[in-house]
Amino acid sequence: MRRSLRAGLAALALATTPAFAQAIGQGFELERGGRNAEAAAAYLSTLRADPANLPALLGLERVLPALGRLPELLPLVQRARERVPENGSLRSLELRVYAGMNEPDSLTAAARRWAAALPRSEAPYREWALALADRREFDDARQVLLLGRRSLGGGATTLAIELAELEQRVENWEAAAREWGHAVVAAPELLPNAASQLAETPAPQRARVTVALTSPDATPRTQRLAAELLLGWGQAAEGWRVFEQSLAGAPSSETATALRRYADLAAQLGTPAGHRVRGLALTRWADLVPSPLAERARAEGVRELLEGGDRVAARAALERLAADSLAPADAKSMAEAALIEVLIADGGAQLEAAERRLGSSILGGDDESRLRLALARARVARGELDRAALLLRDDSSVAALAERGWIALYRGDLRGATDAFRAAGPYAGERAAATDRTAMLALVQQIRADTLPDLGAGLLTLARGDSAGAVTTLRQVAGRLAPDGGRSDVLLLAGQVAARLGGLQDSTAARLFEQVARAGGSGAAAPAAELEWARLLVRQGRAAEAIQRLEHLILSYPGSAFVPEARRELDRARGAVPRS
Amino acid sequence: MDDTQSDHLKAYGLAYRVVHEGVKAEWLLNYQGGAFLLPDGDAIRREAALNGVRAEPVDGGRVTSIRGEIEANNMDAVPLEKAPKVAVYAPPNAAPWDDAVTMALQYAGIPFTKIWDPEVLSGGLRDFDWLHLHHEDFTGQYSKFFLIYSGMPWLADMVQHNADTARRLGFATVPDLKKAVARGIRDYVANGGFLFAMCTATETIDLALAAHGVDIAATFADGTPIDPQADSKLDWSQAFAFTGGKLEPNPLVATFSDIDGHQVNAGPRRQPLGAFKLFNFSAKIDPVPTMLVQSHRQVIPDFYGLTTSFMRTRLKPGVTILADEEGAPWVKYIHGDLGKGTWTFFGGHDPEDPQHQIGDPPTDLSLHPHSPGYRLILNNVLFPAAKKRELKT
Repeated sequence: MRRSLRAGLAALALATTPAFAQAIGQGFELERGGRNAEAAAAYLSTLRADPANLPALLGLERVLPALGRLPELLPLVQRARERVPENGSLRSLELRVYAGMNEPDSLTAAARRWAAALPRSEAPYREWALALADRREFDDARQVLLLGRRSLGGGATTLAIELAELEQRVENWEAAAREWGHAVVAAPELLPNAASQLAETPAPQRARVTVALTSPDATPRTQRLAAELLLGWGQAAEGWRVFEQSLAGAPSSETATALRRYADLAAQLGTPAGHRVRGLALTRWADLVPSPLAERARAEGVRELLEGGDRVAARAALERLAADSLAPADAKSMAEAALIEVLIADGGAQLEAAERRLGSSILGGDDESRLRLALARARVARGELDRAALLLRDDSSVAALAERGWIALYRGDLRGATDAFRAAGPYAGERAAATDRTAMLALVQQIRADTLPDLGAGLLTLARGDSAGAVTTLRQVAGRLAPDGGRSDVLLLAGQVAARLGGLQDSTAARLFEQVARAGGSGAAAPAAELEWARLLVRQGRAAEAIQRLEHLILSYPGSAFVPEARRELDRARGAVPRS
Repeated sequence: MDDTQSDHLKAYGLAYRVVHEGVKAEWLLNYQGGAFLLPDGDAIRREAALNGVRAEPVDGGRVTSIRGEIEANNMDAVPLEKAPKVAVYAPPNAAPWDDAVTMALQYAGIPFTKIWDPEVLSGGLRDFDWLHLHHEDFTGQYSKFFLIYSGMPWLADMVQHNADTARRLGFATVPDLKKAVARGIRDYVANGGFLFAMCTATETIDLALAAHGVDIAATFADGTPIDPQADSKLDWSQAFAFTGGKLEPNPLVATFSDIDGHQVNAGPRRQPLGAFKLFNFSAKIDPVPTMLVQSHRQVIPDFYGLTTSFMRTRLKPGVTILADEEGAPWVKYIHGDLGKGTWTFFGGHDPEDPQHQIGDPPTDLSLHPHSPGYRLILNNVLFPAAKKRELKT
């Protein structure tokens, strides 16, 4: 008989379980629809059948405050907690209800009871402090966490995350940093989260945060936290200085992991300083990992150092790589190419060394062509046109053809330059380089001569970086050309160079643009000069005059290819579109 | 203006300036996508050339032929006789390039004046024919960004500005101030003004008008919680367009009510963007809505705003739907009369920035000179210039 009664009860219980689920499901739906009173009724109905149903209690916690009925929740939570005293969620809900009812004494008493029941747990203090913090009683919340730290006896790392988040909430960033520092000492896996939280530190407080994390007694983990923050704030060099200090101890797998992470973080910067730090981190990481990972990392580190402009560190790493007999072939050839690049970039006497290395190098194919071209350009930049031409003598690539066009042009051989540029076509090199060649072709075609050494000399002066000298030379050359034989085009070029120089050269540029614009003519020079003139005027804050020039251009040369751009400039000058 | 027009948006500016100079012009509704017939002259040709607007010279015979075509088809010629004086409602510290209408006005070269709460409350609207609203949250809850963007300088600035203005004008809270401003705007329309609103302003001005005497603002905005019975106390007879809306009570959800169909900031309630279709009205019988939908595109990609669209079930009877998404429970673009004036609501923030996020770079309209969405905005600017006559709508 007893067996059958028990079985009957079990069957009843099973039959009613879907009804609970249905009731609470309805509660959620009603709550979502904003029908709080009906949702509360559904949750209460669930609790009548299942007094410790946590989702229903949490649902009431959400809807009753809006109805002004929060006190109804307290006896329900207490009844549930008595049934399941070990349930932390119910304990913390009880604290929140007391907090919501503004009963601080009851809140304290309930929290102390919970802490007494679980003397080794952080949870009572954490939830107690959270309930206080939600009431914006931040000082009391801090005291509770410190009480927990003392009571649990775990030292500065106990409840450090909670204290850090609390300090952050009250915008006490320095204290938050100290607590995060404690937290990462105990658990290094917290470092990404700590760095992400502290990254939000307002700029004026960042220095104090850094100081808090880099005190003389700071541990390597705390120093790494500071270094990550500095990196994220764009202070890559300072970050690396701090990070390097954290590497002082014996190498370990944690050190290697930290170096790799730091290198990856630096990559996200995308700035020269970021490249440099990535290079430094990779070369240090290479010392801690086995071959061939090490050589590849060192090779990549060199590339990053070069991109970061730190040729001294790059050369040191390259020398090390070159001396490494274990280095795989691809790493060695990468190092060789990088070293030649460094020598070319150093220029001066190093060009001889670069040429020697290139002559006897193990490189071939694209790498060698690329370096030969770079070396030729470096020779051109020194005015050594014959040596540059010699370097490209056997190179039939379109890039070399284009470079030979420039060499011909600098020699004043206009026909040779035209032929080479045409043969190179529009696809050699970068888009900007192709545009430069096209512009030069357009200029040369206006001049009725096969050779014009003075023009070549002027353009070479420009290529060698003497822009002011180039302006003077180009003006002189223009003066000797016929009005319809390229004079305006060369003057326009001189004006563009002067405008790029800015400063005192602005007035020269304006005079040259004006001269070309007033000369008019059917070529592209006059509208182009007018557009450049207007841009110069905008830059000088003379928008009204710029508008006059642009209107004149649009109305005088309606078919010119410069009209669409002139209209955009006109819109900008009038303030009709945002400045981009 | 069909696809051969080189800059649709600047064409409106040209027509506006011609009318502003006291020269008569005509708007040829539905003719080649809605064209303007302007008198020939050097100054107008010069303006067209400078602005890149394609102008087609037509002689007397061609004009007669065009008029014949208009007479025989669903087209009409509406005289434009007075350029409206335009006001844009925006706080003095409003960021430039963050309002589709001011961008359209600046690009087209149509002058406007910025006004704000003090001007509205001191009767300054009577100096203007046309008023535009965009971002403002007339519920006074700072677009409900208060908690989500807490600590952001732009938000702090917005809160400070509004709170200072409320105090200076003698209002206890910002929501009270905004309700008074909403009523001022309503009176302006009732007295013959033209109102054009986009984005948040559409939904919140109606909520503010319906909530006279009811607390619909969260605690962060006025220090007291929303009236739990607010939904049932709203008086929709005071609103322009909507009725029966239910408020969003959660202060952390940046949406205001169930009037908006897309609920862009309401998590799982957010609806994807589709495309909206302009209605085809009878030009000779319904010239006003016909003017408002002049475009070279009938179907236009949708774009989000804090208020993106309007639920059909929340529209008052008598509201004219100008554009909707076929098969969807919402509409995009609506129009109606109030007293002697009219209002038009257009959901969404920026027709050329469909997913607009705070901090996005501004839209450069010189890259979108044919934007059909922006054309709709400019239809609204020019429509008050049309000569009033017996309208059947």
